[in-house]
Amino acid sequence: MTEAISTAGLTKFYGEHRGVIDVNLEIREGEVFGLLGPNGAGKTTCIRLFLDFIHPTSGSATILGLDSRADSVRIRQDTGYLPGEFVTYEKLTVLDLLTYFANLRGGNLGRAKTLADRFNLDLTRKIGELSRGNRQKVGLVQAFMSDPRLLILDEPTSALDPLLQQEFHRLVLEEAAAGKTLFISSHMLSEVEIICDRVGIIREGSLVTVEEVSALRERALTRVEIEFNDPVSPADFEALEGVTDVVVSDHRLTCSVTGSVDSLIKAAARHTVNRIESAQPGLEEVFLAYYSDETGKESSGAA
Amino acid sequence: MLRNVYLKTLRDSRKSILFYSIGVVALGLYVTLFYPTIRDATGFTDFLEDLPEVFQSIVGDAETYTTAEGFLNVEVFSFMGPMIVSIFAIIAGTSAIAGEEESHTLDQLLANPISRASILLQKAAGLLTGLLALSVALGIGLIAGSRIAGFDLAITGTIQAIASLYVLGATLGLLALSVGAATGRKGLAGGVAAGVGVVGFLLDTFLSVVEILEPARFVSVFYYFNSNDVILNGINAAHLATLIGITAVAVAVAVWRFEQRDVAV
Repeated sequence: MTEAISTAGLTKFYGEHRGVIDVNLEIREGEVFGLLGPNGAGKTTCIRLFLDFIHPTSGSATILGLDSRADSVRIRQDTGYLPGEFVTYEKLTVLDLLTYFANLRGGNLGRAKTLADRFNLDLTRKIGELSRGNRQKVGLVQAFMSDPRLLILDEPTSALDPLLQQEFHRLVLEEAAAGKTLFISSHMLSEVEIICDRVGIIREGSLVTVEEVSALRERALTRVEIEFNDPVSPADFEALEGVTDVVVSDHRLTCSVTGSVDSLIKAAARHTVNRIESAQPGLEEVFLAYYSDETGKESSGAA
Repeated sequence: MLRNVYLKTLRDSRKSILFYSIGVVALGLYVTLFYPTIRDATGFTDFLEDLPEVFQSIVGDAETYTTAEGFLNVEVFSFMGPMIVSIFAIIAGTSAIAGEEESHTLDQLLANPISRASILLQKAAGLLTGLLALSVALGIGLIAGSRIAGFDLAITGTIQAIASLYVLGATLGLLALSVGAATGRKGLAGGVAAGVGVVGFLLDTFLSVVEILEPARFVSVFYYFNSNDVILNGINAAHLATLIGITAVAVAVAVWRFEQRDVAV
């Protein structure tokens, strides 16, 4: 199977400033890949390198089997791009803009019109008169309209309201089902969790880890709080597999569980349980755990 | 008009092309309709003959005002024409690439399957087409005006002078476009091109009257544009070839730099 995106030691410095350092990524064709990281971590730098807006200081990127520098035009023929803040010719109407870009791509407006309908976008308005959300819809339509094999989306939903975000997520899942590759950068982990197969975490220009979303979720901690009818002993729970941070106060137990909660539930069932609460593990928690970990390592390493 | 970058460039500048064209038609009409009055005012040429040489070089000598071509050479092709055409060209040149970059629309254009060289060259072609429209408009204004005013105008000389003016405008406009494409900086692009034009104009006027400095006139773009009074003496092919050569080098360097450099967000 070919790789949709593959980078080797991809590095970008803006003069003295760090963009990304030694990024090695393999993204399979047909995969939905999320690149996660806080602002300034290097997500946009990666994307601009893929699209040849900027050139690597060293290393290389191969997109759809082609070199990002030498074959950029052919790559862009098969790639749709949507930035977080879609900015384009304000004086054109939506229809004119889509017509222009469709012409540059040698395509037609068939799919654009379907997408515009779906996202409730008025084609007759001028871009300059649109709200930020509506402008982003235009960006979304132009990115998807040529039915490209690869979609590169940089924080695509940051300007969309929750309802549109959901519609966008459905669109992404449809595209994925149709075999498209999607590369999505985000700082919203809940979003990545819904739509991505794998996630890369980028921090201060370096790719920290790449994992299956399911694996990340498995590593996630579930916070559980159980209220018993009678006082319990911490010892009953501390030894359980995957259970940590056990705190018992009178007849109330709080703890963290990694992976399955089965052993905890079975142990608890030996007592009378009044109430049980668990906080759904979000990638946020995994992510923050990862970050605090790494920050810890780095500061101790630097010392 | 949205088929490609070239047509889109023309579409974007259609209003500016229209207004500038009206401007140069008006200039052509104004000057030609005014000419008979000057020609017939004998006192005026006597006055000019008494002026110091340096003033004559600016306002023209007496001969200037006794032939239609000499008059147009001073009134249209020495200052007003070059100024209007250069302003149009420099504005079009700066907005072409640097303007798009500074208004953040270049990214999305570049996301389409089109090479930077192609974008640059199509925009340059758009600029040259706009200039052509202005040139035709100026020609119409001058020729129509001369017919209305009832005097004979040397058509070949006039067309050659307009062609020379076209090359001057193209040089300054494409210089602005090139600096903008190479650096992404609109202010710098406009500044360099306007500087070359204004300093060129001042130098040419100044150096032509200071005899000892006359050999240095070749540093000015205006020297190549009209130092031999094209409307009277015809095009100097070597001069125009120099301007075209400089412009071609500037555009070639710009294509190379534009392909190499990073584009700003």
